[in-house]
Amino acid sequence: MKKLKNTVNIVIPLAFVTLLLTGWEVMVRCKSVPEWILPGPVRIARTFADNAPVIAKHSQSTLLECLAGFGIAIVFSFVIAFLMDEIELIKRALYPLIVASQTVPIVSVAPLFIIWFGYGLMPKIIVVVLVCFFPIAISLMGGLAAVDREYLELFRSMKASRLDIFRMVKLPLAMPSFFSGLRISAAYSVMGAVIGEWLGAKQGLGLYMTLSQRSFQVDRVFAAILAVTALSAALFVLVVLAERLVIPWNRLKQDR
Amino acid sequence: MPEIVIQEISKTLGGLLTLGEINMKAADSAFVGILGPSGCGKSTLFNIISGLMRPDSGHVFIDKQDVTGRTGRVSYMRQKDLLLPSLNILENASIPLILKGHPKKKAHAEAEKHLSQFGLEGFQRYYPSQLSGGMRQRAAMLRTYLFSSDILLLDEPFASLDAITKRKMQTWLIGVFNQIRPTVMFITHDVDEALYLCDKVYVLSECPTVVKMEIKVPFSRPQHGRTITDPGYSKMRDTIMEALEL
Repeated sequence: MKKLKNTVNIVIPLAFVTLLLTGWEVMVRCKSVPEWILPGPVRIARTFADNAPVIAKHSQSTLLECLAGFGIAIVFSFVIAFLMDEIELIKRALYPLIVASQTVPIVSVAPLFIIWFGYGLMPKIIVVVLVCFFPIAISLMGGLAAVDREYLELFRSMKASRLDIFRMVKLPLAMPSFFSGLRISAAYSVMGAVIGEWLGAKQGLGLYMTLSQRSFQVDRVFAAILAVTALSAALFVLVVLAERLVIPWNRLKQDR
Repeated sequence: MPEIVIQEISKTLGGLLTLGEINMKAADSAFVGILGPSGCGKSTLFNIISGLMRPDSGHVFIDKQDVTGRTGRVSYMRQKDLLLPSLNILENASIPLILKGHPKKKAHAEAEKHLSQFGLEGFQRYYPSQLSGGMRQRAAMLRTYLFSSDILLLDEPFASLDAITKRKMQTWLIGVFNQIRPTVMFITHDVDEALYLCDKVYVLSECPTVVKMEIKVPFSRPQHGRTITDPGYSKMRDTIMEALEL
């Protein structure tokens, strides 16, 4: 019964996507839409295959920026969330600032990083960090703050130190929330890197995209979009796998 | 086993006099019930005994030692099991030993010795979410026991269980009590539970909480776990009900 359900869960969305793609292809062919406006899926797939080595090379730099930015954002989030959770003064000082920072559009500040740090990897990594930091930090802080007060009282009555309580109680209980933030920013991180590359880069999918777009090679733009999507999905899957590895106990609830 | 004396404890919480001059005594290996309406400061009382909270006045003595406002002597068990979902049953039960500085292996070995007594044999590798409410409460009790084996403070430990599991747990608790003979203080708002388990029951009033009545229960803890048939039972029950204004 469960197996059947799983099959249905996979087959139905897959069939739907196939239907959409077929519709797209048929429409493009029947109406003979020019390729520089909208190429069909078949054409895009061919372009993707033909340019695979180039796309792979560009993907590499984008992926590097993502992973570096993502990693830095995670480390930052842990440090900030720990400090904000333990020290009330820091929380009061930083929290409004962190929220306010999210109202600044990334696209408007990214050019500044290029002025300051040049066309290398650095400005893109900074953009990725900025994009990823917020969801991770907020979800981690939310998780830490949501820990049932009774847990804390119980552990205090057993003479646990503050560090013990953080390590043994708060951190593990905050992990499910942390990972949901991590999943969101995994998908965002590629977007951050691509935005950074749009504005000026030596290599990367964002650069490839802008170059193709300027020469009206829409099929290449689509191929780049495909690569971006694949990267985002891969990072998302990576996070989900990490989640299963780090907090295997969290899945038990769903099994019951 | 130790004797717990609560001497003229009073406490104001948020401008409201919660506890007003409470005196209680739990003799060596006694099973003392604390019965009262919800929200009357019973849990505050346990917070004070375990040292989490300092009373405005009064003292807590355990074995003639003043432990007022000091944590570390006794912990207590609550209605929620408060097991960590990230640890299995054995690891959860060993927490107090690890906090006391025992190495992990030794702590686990020590906890393992008591598993069968607490009806958890064979479940040490299970995670809390895989077990029933009753089993989780037993694991929580084992954890409380491993922190202070001579005193058990139980704050409505069975209140969230269904009636059948609850009765099973009560009978089981009597069995464990008879084996290890700790001094027990048991908070409940269930008159029958109090009469079924305890040697002595303190009936508390509503806020500000004072001890309204102290009753010795002569027919406590029938081994078979059935209804108490003593003719004095219903009379005693009525007296308590009256004191609770039910």
